[in-house]
Amino acid sequence: MSKTYKSKKILVSRRYQILALVLVLLAGGLLLLPKYHKSEGISPELFVKNALSTERYINTDMLADRLINQDPTILLIDTRPEAEYNEFALPNAINIPLKDFFDEELNGYINQDIYDVILYSNDNFYSNEAWMIGNRLGYKNLYVLQGGLNEWFKTIIDPKYPDETMPQEAFELYSFRKAAGMYFGVGVAKTETLDKPKPKKKVITTPKKKKRVPEGGC
Amino acid sequence: MGPLIPNGLIPVEWNYIIAIFIGMAFGYILEASGFSSSRKLAGVFYGYDFVVLKVFFTSAVVAVIGLYYMDYLSWVDISQLYVQPTYLWAAIIGGMIMGVGFLAGGFCPGTSFCGAAIGKIDAIYFTIGLMFGIFIFAEAFDILEPLFDGSNLGHITLPDTLNMSPYWIVFIFTIIAVVSFAISDKIRNKVKKVFY
Repeated sequence: MSKTYKSKKILVSRRYQILALVLVLLAGGLLLLPKYHKSEGISPELFVKNALSTERYINTDMLADRLINQDPTILLIDTRPEAEYNEFALPNAINIPLKDFFDEELNGYINQDIYDVILYSNDNFYSNEAWMIGNRLGYKNLYVLQGGLNEWFKTIIDPKYPDETMPQEAFELYSFRKAAGMYFGVGVAKTETLDKPKPKKKVITTPKKKKRVPEGGC
Repeated sequence: MGPLIPNGLIPVEWNYIIAIFIGMAFGYILEASGFSSSRKLAGVFYGYDFVVLKVFFTSAVVAVIGLYYMDYLSWVDISQLYVQPTYLWAAIIGGMIMGVGFLAGGFCPGTSFCGAAIGKIDAIYFTIGLMFGIFIFAEAFDILEPLFDGSNLGHITLPDTLNMSPYWIVFIFTIIAVVSFAISDKIRNKVKKVFY
């Protein structure tokens, strides 16, 4: 009996034992694999791609339009400290300071996919940080108010009258902003001081060409 | 990278087409390994043939080992895989009914269609009974609903419940499989041979 024949015979007669051994070795191999830390959330490549994209920004006009039309799908999150929030905040905004971002009770507002969450702070700084944390963890529908509250004041509350050489659109935008500002209470105090209240002029917001809300991201 | 469909590597529309092909392959393998014979299937209860135990246990072990290796290599994200929710009492009672049906009829639902496809009369009767059972369940759903929806434990898994590393569970599971195969072989050698 040759040696190779003998070894082949063992292989055939004991093939199930050998297969069982292979299975156990493979399962045991899982235990011996070197441990490594698996990062949570989306892949770093996707994160960088999202971070470089400006799709996350929503401008103040778009936000004002949605607020005036009482869009039920938006959720405003104020990422500034509580004291600043108490001084001034956008209507119906919820205060989630950056340090409380992982607070279990508040996290439910940010980590969901029903509302479009719009983050804002005084400028883009805190809101962008919040967006980055959320995006890294794979939260959906997160947006950042471009320019934050500073931009809000500059454009909606106190818009600049356009130069006469500017195109028609600039004037339309101005009147929209002026009307939006009235909606948010600019100049309301003045009209209240009058003895005889004039019939309130109906605010007609010029129907702006609706821009598509940036979709996607992740 | 994976799972392929949730991560958009394969468009969602392919879902059903792929499912049909997997189903056909599954049916073919079932038939080819003799699972369309009720005598072979029932053998596991009488101790003369443990092929059911061996095939299903082996496939589970191979799949789980393969998945965890692929997870380690980041080919598949295991946390993205769908875990069936556990309805405790529904599963226990349903499992008991299924066991009784398996023992009495000699088929489990999948294999009965395999048998019916190659023209086994007992399998055809079994599938008719299966449809009848589905009909009764649907009609009695109002009564059964509390059981059907109750005791939902959610998407629980053994690593979470036992708070153990999944690798250890896979290893223990593999040992249990191999030991059960060895024991089933011992039992089969002691039981009188049945020819079918």
